[in-house]
Amino acid sequence: MLTETSARLTGVPSIDLVALLPVIAPVVALLLILLADALRPGLRLPSDLIGLAGLLTAAGGVAYLALDGEDRNTACSGGFVVTTGQTGPTRLPESLSPAEFGFGCSYVVSDLTLAVQGIVLLGAVACLLLALNGPGAKDRTAHHTLLLATVAGATALAGARDLATLTVALETATLPTIGLIALRRDAQGAQAAVTMLLTAIASLGMLLLGIGLLFLATGSLYLFRIADVLAAGPDRPVLVVAVAGAVLSLAGIGFKVSLVPFHMWTPDTYAGAPLPIAAFLSTVSKAAGVSAAVVLLGIGLPALHEAWAPLIGILAVLTMTVGNLIALRQNVAVRLLAWSTVAQAGWVMLPFAAAGPSRDSVREATAGAIGYLLAYVVASLAVFAVVVLVARHHRSGEEHTLQTYRGLSRTEPVASAVLAFALLCLAGLPPGVMGLIAKVVALRPVVDAEVWPVAVIAALNVALALAYYLRWVALLVAPGDRSAPRWRLRPAEGIVLGGAAAGCLGLSVGAEVIAGLLPGILH
Amino acid sequence: MTGTGYTWLLPVLVLLPLAGALVLLAVPLLSDRLAAWIGTAIGGVTLLLSLLAAFVTWDRGFGRMQLQARTDWISALGLEASLGLDGVSTPLVLLTALLAVLTCLHLTRAEPDRLLVVCVLTVTGGAIATFTALDLLLFFVAFETVLIPMWFVIGVWGDGRQEGQPANAAARFVLYTAAGSAVMLLGIILVITRTGTSDITELIQRGGAGLSATTQTVAAVLIVIGLAVKTPMWPLHTWLPPAHTIAPTTGSVLLAGVLLKLGTYGLVRVAVPILPAGMANVAPWLGGFAVTGIVWAGLACLVERDLKRLVALSSVAHMGFVLLGVASMTPTGLQGALFANIAHGVVSALLFFVVGALKDRQHSSDLQQLGPGLRDRMPRLGWLLTFGAVAGLGLPGLAVFWGELLAVAGAWQSSGLGMLNRPFAVIAAAGTVIAAAYWLRVLRVLWQGRPEPGQGPDATRHETVTMMPLVLATVGLGLVPGPLLGATAGVVRLLLPGGGAVP
Repeated sequence: MLTETSARLTGVPSIDLVALLPVIAPVVALLLILLADALRPGLRLPSDLIGLAGLLTAAGGVAYLALDGEDRNTACSGGFVVTTGQTGPTRLPESLSPAEFGFGCSYVVSDLTLAVQGIVLLGAVACLLLALNGPGAKDRTAHHTLLLATVAGATALAGARDLATLTVALETATLPTIGLIALRRDAQGAQAAVTMLLTAIASLGMLLLGIGLLFLATGSLYLFRIADVLAAGPDRPVLVVAVAGAVLSLAGIGFKVSLVPFHMWTPDTYAGAPLPIAAFLSTVSKAAGVSAAVVLLGIGLPALHEAWAPLIGILAVLTMTVGNLIALRQNVAVRLLAWSTVAQAGWVMLPFAAAGPSRDSVREATAGAIGYLLAYVVASLAVFAVVVLVARHHRSGEEHTLQTYRGLSRTEPVASAVLAFALLCLAGLPPGVMGLIAKVVALRPVVDAEVWPVAVIAALNVALALAYYLRWVALLVAPGDRSAPRWRLRPAEGIVLGGAAAGCLGLSVGAEVIAGLLPGILH
Repeated sequence: MTGTGYTWLLPVLVLLPLAGALVLLAVPLLSDRLAAWIGTAIGGVTLLLSLLAAFVTWDRGFGRMQLQARTDWISALGLEASLGLDGVSTPLVLLTALLAVLTCLHLTRAEPDRLLVVCVLTVTGGAIATFTALDLLLFFVAFETVLIPMWFVIGVWGDGRQEGQPANAAARFVLYTAAGSAVMLLGIILVITRTGTSDITELIQRGGAGLSATTQTVAAVLIVIGLAVKTPMWPLHTWLPPAHTIAPTTGSVLLAGVLLKLGTYGLVRVAVPILPAGMANVAPWLGGFAVTGIVWAGLACLVERDLKRLVALSSVAHMGFVLLGVASMTPTGLQGALFANIAHGVVSALLFFVVGALKDRQHSSDLQQLGPGLRDRMPRLGWLLTFGAVAGLGLPGLAVFWGELLAVAGAWQSSGLGMLNRPFAVIAAAGTVIAAAYWLRVLRVLWQGRPEPGQGPDATRHETVTMMPLVLATVGLGLVPGPLLGATAGVVRLLLPGGGAVP
């Protein structure tokens, strides 16, 4: 009531706090940690707990909103116009619809929003737990606040429905990761952070230029409005500007998703960052990038599918082929994972190659991408959990090679079973049914649209990726050093390992979740 | 009539070996030998249950899907976990269960290893699931399930006398077949999106209705390529000789007796009935590759020096007959293909057991190293080898004969192959002559001649017991082919377009 009144008086749109809980909770936690650090520097457990509580509250918000089932729009502009020469905002006449003047809602709670937020928070909780004994121990406050800021950006991104919110959220989800990468505090870490910084700036430039062009072409920042304008069949010059804007924004987002040819930063950054941060980059950051692409293309620009769908098709198969070919030759575990995440990004974006004129085909593509993303994130977390444990227990540390895993199944049977299962999920072969169903979900729109070159190259990439995943699995069971010391699992790591393993197993049995993540219409 | 009662049978048949594998995997305290005996017991129960299932299915009529059990799995993709058994799948399930028992029994003495038993049981469960799956996607998932355990069998327990060879052979096996099945997946997805259902029985009833000829051809090409890698069809067979040669006896037997059957079963269950118009376009090519494979593999066998590799290559020739039978698209040819499928499974499993036993003694399967005079040195193994060889060359009265005869006859009368039908039949018949030539060459080198002193012992009782069921099956199928032909007779007409009438 109060917010409505204030909205009427000031022109500032009303805010639905429950709808925004997944965004607000991490921010509140961030502020509390800063406050606690200012009052009593060096607090350990409380700041860990506040960080976790923030993420879990956000997750609770997502769960509540999903169960509630009601679609909520918030931060809506109600049709106020601030004109020069007057004292205050003026309301549009009742006879005119706000939408016609390019107004709409900046934040929407839909199936898409909640699915992406769920994936982001899942990854964030796991990465926070993994980091508690690593980078999160040395620079607790810095790590926790930067991580929470990224998460807030990523969750906001999922609900963002206007170009300005989208950009701000995407940068909020990107810039703090530079600080996270630099937490390693050695030359390599610094280099990785600088690489990420330069990448972020370059991609931000392209994104802003692209968004500017889109605004220029359509006259609105709101994605629904942009979609309407473009669907109405504008003139050719307008269309050209819009397509240029779409391509540039896509390039900007392509950096975050590490699509080839915007992937060059990925391996160096992963190898230079602390391992839990690499896990964070490959799950939460990637999910944020994917959701930016999904929101922009699927909701804002479905009418331009003729321009971006073939482009995405080419980028997707290029990404998976290049990623897989280079991953074949990697020997350092984290570098192999970096290239494998590049390849997996190709799979996540693959369904968009099939987007057609119907709303339904765009929805199918989005459902495929998000379903694949979920499977990829869960499997990646399981792999990273084991890699972090190996790094902690071996001399070579975070830069350990695959040879470190030789014979691991004899000394650590449970962890190696989890690793093997997760790798097979990434490869998409039973017993990793989760990954297989994800590949079916990603391939289905492409086959349905009969984009055969893309479909066949993607299918052959399954075998290509299998080669290096299986090389890793083979080392686990190879005869090796039986005298290696047993691991001492810390509770937080145990939770992540167990949780991710349970996730892989649960989603393999209940693969329905992956296939049916986005049942409703796309908005 | 799907019939009531016994609906628990098929889920149990699939889940029992898989659950057994899981338990053996999770309990590391078991000794390897005990694990092998437990595996044998699980295999035995599976065999008994599949005999029961076969009896019930026979009782209710092989012509229709019996013992159907279904439950929703992934409704967003329309994927139902549904299983059923008919005359095509019953013999294959029986063969799989029999080979599970025999390989586990073999493992109780030779090279026992708990994890190898786990792999054998997983392959068994996956194969039975593939043979009974009534949903295209479930079929695909089950089809893929056997890959990883088989990769372990070749890569971990393979013949490691040359550094890196097992890993290479295993990688080649898994990459070839995974690439093939990924291509097949595209075809399967195409069928599902265009028809809106993945229910195999429903799709067979429609017989391609609602699918344009172009779509059918594209889907048939994709699916046949995928299955042809597995079968294997010349020229996609190059993964097979190294895999068979490097694999331990258990692995070779499973590869020949179970894995190769998945490909041909897929052709008969999926490609032929669901995409008849597409298969009509693909069939001449399939037939051409099949006869090329028969001749090519036969010629390769004539000069092959390694006995295990020779048996593997002869598999390519035998599977060529199966493919030719399928390509003929006639009831006779299809029945021949299904018969030859089973016969090859039995005979090559026997041959791999024998060659494995020889290799254990001489530490080589090279014909020169195995040396002459097997008849005098090891009479029992010598006789078993001779028996396998004469069965392999298609002697009338033994199993292989009937299948290949019918496949060639099917090709002869086939209208689907067009002008090429009789040339193909003649070339395939010539292939049996080549088979006779290479098997007689093997016998001349090994069985006859003056033995060198100081050789290993003859077959133990355990080995003989392991191989005897296969010998009996070969003789039984050869002398009394009626029941197996009767089982498939009704079904093949349902699977072929227009009831399989020959115009």
